[in-house]
Amino acid sequence: MAACGVAAVSTLVPAIGFGVVTASILAVAGVGFTLQFGVTNILNLAYGDIMTAAAFVAYLVTAAGASVWLALAAGAAFGAVFSVALNRGLYTPFVRRGIRLFGMIIVTIAVSLIVQNGLLAIFGANFFSLRMARPASVHIAGMVFTSVQLAIIGIAITAMLLIHLLLRYTKLGKAMRATATDPELARNCGIATDRVIDLAWAISGALCGLAGVILVMNVTAFTDTTGSTFLIPIVAVAVLGGIGQPHGAMLGALVIGIASELAAAIISPDYKDVVAFVILVIVLLARPQGILSEIATRKEVAA
Amino acid sequence: MSLAWQFYISTVLVYLGVDVIACWGLNLQFGVAGLVNFAYIVFQAAGAYTAAVLTLGPAKPARLGGFQQYVGGAHWPFPLPILAAGLVGGGLAAVMGSFAIRRLRSDYEAMVMLVVSLIATSVASNQVGLVNGPNGLALVPKPLASLVNLSPVDYQWLFVGLTAAVCLCVYWLVHVVTSAPLGRTLRAVRDNEQAAAALGKNVTGLRMLAFVLGGVIAGISGAILVEFTSAWSPGSWLYPETFVYFTAVIVGGSGNNLGVMVGALLVPVGFLEATRFLPQFGPPGFIDALQWIVVGLLALTFLWFWPRGVIPERRRRFPPVAEARAPRSLIRTRIGR
Repeated sequence: MAACGVAAVSTLVPAIGFGVVTASILAVAGVGFTLQFGVTNILNLAYGDIMTAAAFVAYLVTAAGASVWLALAAGAAFGAVFSVALNRGLYTPFVRRGIRLFGMIIVTIAVSLIVQNGLLAIFGANFFSLRMARPASVHIAGMVFTSVQLAIIGIAITAMLLIHLLLRYTKLGKAMRATATDPELARNCGIATDRVIDLAWAISGALCGLAGVILVMNVTAFTDTTGSTFLIPIVAVAVLGGIGQPHGAMLGALVIGIASELAAAIISPDYKDVVAFVILVIVLLARPQGILSEIATRKEVAA
Repeated sequence: MSLAWQFYISTVLVYLGVDVIACWGLNLQFGVAGLVNFAYIVFQAAGAYTAAVLTLGPAKPARLGGFQQYVGGAHWPFPLPILAAGLVGGGLAAVMGSFAIRRLRSDYEAMVMLVVSLIATSVASNQVGLVNGPNGLALVPKPLASLVNLSPVDYQWLFVGLTAAVCLCVYWLVHVVTSAPLGRTLRAVRDNEQAAAALGKNVTGLRMLAFVLGGVIAGISGAILVEFTSAWSPGSWLYPETFVYFTAVIVGGSGNNLGVMVGALLVPVGFLEATRFLPQFGPPGFIDALQWIVVGLLALTFLWFWPRGVIPERRRRFPPVAEARAPRSLIRTRIGR
């Protein structure tokens, strides 16, 4: 009996450790995704593929001999520039041309296929990994982390803190929340919504790029489909948190990250994504508006 | 005509039939009812697996030389597996629709359906006992092959005839649905949900009906495909395949059954077959990657220049009604282009 309990704890505690790492990556990706959708109202299903593209940029940077920190910066910068260009060059023109919601989803999937297969055509169907110094391992409360994983957690916490401060205390953050709630009213109040939307694409794109690089820092090898596969938990995080709610996405990332790693330890690693999906279905049945949305609405009104 | 050409042409014709049937089903959901079902290929896959399993017979255990494992094997005579595939496709649509359509916004719905498609592939690959995992099912016996004593090439033409017959039945079904008052109501729900609801139409029920009918048709298309190719695996129904059908519907003319048929001829058949004659160049997989890029660009081009497709949906004009009966704006309003 006691031995059984010990065995369970010894598999569960490390799983929670992995869960925290997964949650960190999910938080960065999920907040970017939900911010993009909330402010711009475009459901960008190419998000995962832009993550992969940023990972390939980071790969090129490390392959050229630069440090992984520079690769992170390059990935984030690429994500920001690519997202703004994508919106300005493709998405906005399509919206102006009167393409409806369905049409826009098809446009983003087309972009997703083009980016993914473009990467496949350029780099080939191989496995890639970032060139990094061999990480040391650190023991914390029964959980084993590599130094890379600790760096990922640190990066995610910093990014989340910055996003929180940006949205809550800066003029830009306020303008973004206003644009997300009612773009027309925001425009009438003198907010330059076009600029706000550009900046929202830049910030969410930077998070997207960052997420792509930390995602591949955490795995031994990645391919052209790594990012698009990761879209399942990202969508689950965004829906769980309530679409367009960055704080909800942070909470959702923690729940889904830890739940999926626990499921991987208890049931089978193949079912990580299925857990995310089950949570997604339960949320859609019980609370389609997401866990945090009511609190957030109340705050929005009070602010 | 040489034998090789006969084989090739009859094969292409069967693929065309399958794609046309599948596109009609998707058109019913997307073009007519406005449902964004990015898991469409899952219904086709469900139909294909059903037909395969019901034709293959009970699975042999590995120790008796069975090399594939699956549940619910049976030896059903010819048309039954195809009908069962339609039922399974429709049943699956009813289950999925009951949580996806009920109260989701269409962007949520699209997202959930995309995730459903990805998860379904993952489950089919990982649950090896269900439908033989990543290797899929193979050696599905050809229908009627043991009854009619035909040479392989004549059998090919028999199958073309069979596919054509199913095509006609499905066309009759979608034609009846789209041209009847039911079709008008579905289009009304698509174009202005609030107005349709205000006129007393059961919006959710109508959507559900279109969704389930589309599922039935998708299941049948999958059944015909698997009876012809006699193999089916998770690699045959990855989510981008749904995008090919969407592109076909948009290129042909969403909402128009004839247009959609042209779309099926141009995109899945024309495109994927035309590249067969290109010389191979670049590393392995390079041409496939380019093919997907071109399909993506094709969808973007059509959405930009001809969002209503090659043969657009006919705009219906109705003679003016007495003002008192219903505000005219409600009847003539069409949102978007």
